[in-house]
Amino acid sequence: MFSQILLNGIFTSAIYCLIALGLTLILGVMDIADFAQAGLYMVGAFLTFIVFEIWGLNFLVSVCIAIVVVSFVGIVNNIVVYQPAMRRGANSLIAALGILLIIQNLALLVFGADYQTLQLPFGQGNVQIFNGTITLYKSMIVLIVCVLVPAVSLFLKKTKIGRAIRAVSQNKEGASIVGIGSGKVSVITFGIGSAIVGLTGALVSPIYAFDAHFGSHIIVKAFTIAIFGGLGSIPGTVVGALIIGIGENMVAGYVSTEYSSLMTFVLLILILFIRPQGIFGRKAI
Amino acid sequence: MKKGFKKGICISFFVIFSFFLPLFFKSVFIQHLLVLIGINIILVMALDMVFGQTGLVSLGHAGFMGIGAYTCVLLVMKLKTPFLIGLIGGMVSAGLFGALIGYPSLRLRGHYFVIITFICGIIFTLLFTNLIIITNGPMGIPGIPPPEIRLFGTQPIDLKSKINYYYLVLIFIFIVIYIKYRCKNSKMGRALLAVREDEDLGKSLGIHTHAYKVGIFIISTAFAGLAGALYAHYIRFIGPESFTMLHSFYFFVMNLVGGCGTMVGPIIGPMLLTVIDEVSQLFRPEVARILFGLALILMIIYMPKGIAGFVRQHIFKREI
Repeated sequence: MFSQILLNGIFTSAIYCLIALGLTLILGVMDIADFAQAGLYMVGAFLTFIVFEIWGLNFLVSVCIAIVVVSFVGIVNNIVVYQPAMRRGANSLIAALGILLIIQNLALLVFGADYQTLQLPFGQGNVQIFNGTITLYKSMIVLIVCVLVPAVSLFLKKTKIGRAIRAVSQNKEGASIVGIGSGKVSVITFGIGSAIVGLTGALVSPIYAFDAHFGSHIIVKAFTIAIFGGLGSIPGTVVGALIIGIGENMVAGYVSTEYSSLMTFVLLILILFIRPQGIFGRKAI
Repeated sequence: MKKGFKKGICISFFVIFSFFLPLFFKSVFIQHLLVLIGINIILVMALDMVFGQTGLVSLGHAGFMGIGAYTCVLLVMKLKTPFLIGLIGGMVSAGLFGALIGYPSLRLRGHYFVIITFICGIIFTLLFTNLIIITNGPMGIPGIPPPEIRLFGTQPIDLKSKINYYYLVLIFIFIVIYIKYRCKNSKMGRALLAVREDEDLGKSLGIHTHAYKVGIFIISTAFAGLAGALYAHYIRFIGPESFTMLHSFYFFVMNLVGGCGTMVGPIIGPMLLTVIDEVSQLFRPEVARILFGLALILMIIYMPKGIAGFVRQHIFKREI
């Protein structure tokens, strides 16, 4: 029982971790609370559905297409909507809501209100760890997350672009003085963040049934994880996702399913009161 | 002197106009729309006290509305109290929850406060869904009786008809407008303006900014509760689905489209968006919502101060 819940918790945290990673980059660098990422997550899932289920191509091809298209949509959002809005000092949160409305309702028009499901792409195999079982596909996702998160972290630390992103997130004016334009950096950040969210949507699509409002709930949790871990902090995101993901499954397993998300939200509020900059955050509030 | 006279004419015109408005329309649908607009105006007025005056975004007001609604309905249905007592009870309980949440969270700024209120809205919805003994869970509470007001032992005033309910809502709108006006043009209003422009500077000048912020938040949530109570007794059904985070977003958008920080904005915004929303339900709601999203984005980029702010800036050439 315990190891089964733990395994489920680790899988949930892996998904939370990926989305929160994309969000924390955008929120930390651009200071935009991009709720439209919920729409991009859903778009990733639907693209996989079209390419894999309807066109019948390979699953990996469909995931790649989802990543490319979703990151393109994210970049377009940034250039067409967020940058003009930020320049005029408008509220980017409402702009994000507008985009989310458009994306979700377009999906409703095209795909209808029914839930869609996909078959599992790599067979039905199971992996036995201690007393718990987890499907092969889920364990693959966990592995992908284990590789991807350090890779993004290394990218931010070692490459030139990554350093530019971190510079802008720490001090926009200082960065522009030394010649780092925040416009270009924000486009790149949006591309990377949206790509991660699109990848998550694509990976998750064979596991959960999805409709046009897919992602509205998970985005809220991802946001709280991003704030919880400290804006722009990758270790914070990982720890936050693990605590929330495993804690949620523990409460659902031992107490009751209805109260699992309630418990996490209450926990998050408590932690925000005690340490508002997040567990790994540096910024003084 | 002349300016005050002009203002007086405008206000009295507005009062007379709103008083005769429902008499022009015989259609039940339009009367229904008018009542809904009225309730939304109360809520957006309440929201604007927080957002327009302090610049803090609260995305949990639908939750406070729900608390007011549930408290009032339970008082009236379970304890058989008169409607007005239930109304006051709803306001008090929403204000209490506002104090409970506002006191610690108003120390936070920016995204953190938004996220806290946002999560609170979700928690309220979850509580409405899961506290089945009190709230009847996802089934909601059907069959709420139409309100009855008995003033000093006279005949009860019948509020079943939409026109009479409209006048009830109208009275509360005037009360809210008056209180908002008092909050704005007073010591409190100027202190809150300091919070909006530069909180640290205000603090260094000796303004107790936190106390003022908590104060306005409690007033605001109490009126959100009032709007909820009025809504519950008008629709005569409440459930967790009536007070979700989507509604909070929607009220916030109404405030922004109308123009935040003004007296007219919270009247224009709900009028426009309630009509658009209800009419689009008759046709294809998806297409309407796509257009709505587009309009929202264009609006936020080209008219960031909302319609009222835009008119003020470009037609009256006045600073906001």
